[in-house]
Amino acid sequence: MNVAVNKTPAELAYDGMLLPHPRLEDWKWTNLRTLIDRPYPPRIAVTALPRDVERLLKRDPLAMIAHARIVFVNGLFDKAASALPAGGAVKVTQQLAPLDNTDEPVLEMNRAFAGEGVHIEITSNIDAPVEIVHVATDAEARTIATRHRITIADGASATVLEIHLGEGDYLTNSVIDVALGAGAKLDRVKLEIESRDAIHLAHARITLGRDAVLRDFTLTSGARVNRQNATVNFAGEKADAKIAGSYLLSGKQHADTRLVIDHQVPKCTSREIFKCVMDEKARGIFQGKVIVQRDAQKTDGKQSSHGLLLSETAEFDAKPELEIYADDVVCGHGATSGDIDHNHLFYLRSRGIPEPEAKSMLIAAFVGEAFDTISHDDVREQLTRFAETWLVDHKETVR
Amino acid sequence: MADIDTIELVKDIDVDKYKYGFTTEIESELAPKGLNKDIVAFISKKKGEPEWMLEWRLEAYRRWLQVDEPTWAKVKHPKIDFQDLHYYAAPKSMSGPKSLDEVDPELLKTYEKLGIPLREREVLAGVQGSKVAVDAVFDSISVVTTFKEELAKAGVIFCSISEAIREHPELVKKYLGSVVPQGDNFYAALNSAVFSDGSFVYVPPNTRCPMELSTYFRINEKKTGQFERTLIIADKGAYVSYLEGCTAPTRDENQLHAAVVELIALEDAEIKYSTVQNWYPGDKEGKGGVYNFVTKRGDCRGRNAKISWTQVETGSAITWKYPSCILRGDNSRGEFYSIAISNGRQQVDSGTKMIHLGKNTSSRIVSKGIAAGRSDNTYRGLVSAHRKAINARNFTQCDSLLIGDKCGAHTVPYIEAKTLSAHFEHEATTSKISDDQMFYCQSRGLSQEEAVTLIVNGFVRDVLQQLPMEFMAETQKLIGISLEGSVG
Repeated sequence: MNVAVNKTPAELAYDGMLLPHPRLEDWKWTNLRTLIDRPYPPRIAVTALPRDVERLLKRDPLAMIAHARIVFVNGLFDKAASALPAGGAVKVTQQLAPLDNTDEPVLEMNRAFAGEGVHIEITSNIDAPVEIVHVATDAEARTIATRHRITIADGASATVLEIHLGEGDYLTNSVIDVALGAGAKLDRVKLEIESRDAIHLAHARITLGRDAVLRDFTLTSGARVNRQNATVNFAGEKADAKIAGSYLLSGKQHADTRLVIDHQVPKCTSREIFKCVMDEKARGIFQGKVIVQRDAQKTDGKQSSHGLLLSETAEFDAKPELEIYADDVVCGHGATSGDIDHNHLFYLRSRGIPEPEAKSMLIAAFVGEAFDTISHDDVREQLTRFAETWLVDHKETVR
Repeated sequence: MADIDTIELVKDIDVDKYKYGFTTEIESELAPKGLNKDIVAFISKKKGEPEWMLEWRLEAYRRWLQVDEPTWAKVKHPKIDFQDLHYYAAPKSMSGPKSLDEVDPELLKTYEKLGIPLREREVLAGVQGSKVAVDAVFDSISVVTTFKEELAKAGVIFCSISEAIREHPELVKKYLGSVVPQGDNFYAALNSAVFSDGSFVYVPPNTRCPMELSTYFRINEKKTGQFERTLIIADKGAYVSYLEGCTAPTRDENQLHAAVVELIALEDAEIKYSTVQNWYPGDKEGKGGVYNFVTKRGDCRGRNAKISWTQVETGSAITWKYPSCILRGDNSRGEFYSIAISNGRQQVDSGTKMIHLGKNTSSRIVSKGIAAGRSDNTYRGLVSAHRKAINARNFTQCDSLLIGDKCGAHTVPYIEAKTLSAHFEHEATTSKISDDQMFYCQSRGLSQEEAVTLIVNGFVRDVLQQLPMEFMAETQKLIGISLEGSVG
């Protein structure tokens, strides 16, 4: 469906690869041809100073919680900064099978430009979280592509944290494949606090085996342009997935999540909850799709997406889709958009709470439901704190 | 148990039992097949149109050549050969009937056969007390408009669009294409180029239209497309309620119906537009049936204007239809109530668009989809608030009911909020008739048939209540017919 047009400078830098445009239904609200307004050439080697890496790593609010840490600096594995698990239940290798051919632009880009990545195999129950941190240092504009794979063996369980942060102008392309075996349990938490000049493109492909349990949470607060695709496939019966996300956006930030839940087998449960907060000229987009295939009887699927606009110029767009081919199912979705309830604000103000704090409390309460998806108490606490201080923090940086 | 029974019942719903599938042997005048400038000119000439109208049509034809056929809807059909259709078919004996005596008796028989879908038989037969003014469009030509004089007394203009072009050119020129421009989309452009007839309504300021207005459409001729154009204008403070009904004979090949409806509500005006669409849906295997590709749009142009769409979609092989409201005036309101029932191999892709532009605008969407057999039933809608649409409000509810495991129900809503004071709420559910509901009804002595009827009627009640009385009875009957077959 690509139209014959002149290639943009960014496309030329990608060896003429075509970027998605709004005529592609999935990219209706995110036009990468204009949003990627400058070239981000791939495969550019950048040397990072250890002290820069150290300084940036301190920005990771989850640093103290993680037990094992795998650090990628500018797309390359940094052994010195990492604290690899001592072996046993967690196996980390750098062997990854090549990506298949697809027509999904983010995956295509990753296939063409991906550098390194890890394969994390979890074979039993791990209490302490394993963390993958991606750090980008300030250097020339470039594309940083990584690809990881997480495998949770039958009956095993783990918490995996994924952090993206950095400074300067760069484009991150991150693809992650996650497979949960029978009865496996995974808590996946992703924190995107990239540089405000950066572009973040991600694609997560998750497969759940029989009786598997997935708790997935993504907090999106960094990057000027963010696009995250996720596909969740139910391959075994009675699996249970809860996918949540929260946006805390300000300035001219643009974040778009495209989430596809595919119920292929009977008796699975899925819940999606997205709470998006947009201030100033930010634009938040949520596109969710729940597919219930012909055989997936007794599916229970619910999806909800809510936008909270803090300024006249902010925008929230949603497209919560249902595609249902089985009759004995309970499926539903809800979507809302609105601003802060003035009665709530008045109540707090009348009790002597200054407006910024009152607003912060209401924002934290609004996103709280999504944060509840995180099972790990310390992680949830740290991220909740991040949300509570976000409003005041970003107002200060602007001033 | 109950669900298995329900499936059984639905299997028996026989789409072959299409009640309105007869043809009327009326000699008609056909334009040659195909579409080109000459055909457009031919139609315009046939209708005795002024030069400006021909120009307008030719402009639409030029646009049509430039736009692509839309492919985004969740429907599948073989490519339509637009050159293999007759773009004009007129019952020969119909050249502006003045009274019923001039109406072809064959045509009157047609109405007789139709039962009483819109009570137009009584209307046509001149039964006193049935206060529905009818404009009947047969193939491409408006054959009869009733109650004209009484309406004229109130100042209401209700006539065929061709008559309006001749008699009221200033109104047509001002409003035609102002809501759905010629090049709006592929089918709207096609319609603008070749539309043959349709209804025109103008309600003068501060007038409440004294009766329900109604149009009845029927495709009769083989291999024809029907392209009617409806234009309704409610001037300041006016009110009008308009009903539309459609049927078509049973045919092996697909018939094309691409209508355009434009509503314009000025300050404080209200338009209520109701449709019962019962085109021939094709047989069990999906052979034949009408392709219903319709563009309907209303424009709340003044303050406090209100437009309300109510539709009951039971027919057509494929429905592609999104009655929309542009809420331009401050405090204006748009409503959309829909029941879409699909069975056999029908495909429905329908919904609405609510475009909030003015301040304090509000809209409400209630959509009930019922899918049975091997059909696919999609709700596709857009709710958007412009930056300046302060305090826009929307409530959307889309419920789908699946009967049987071979059908599909889909929901594709788009929500765009560009201002913080816009409050949008959307909810959708998909379910089947639950065993509990069936058990409850049956334990109180209802038969299975009665229970299903009760539950389905309850499911669509919110929408049924929005229909004018004349249509409510008809609709319940229509739903009843499907259920009757299903339990039989």
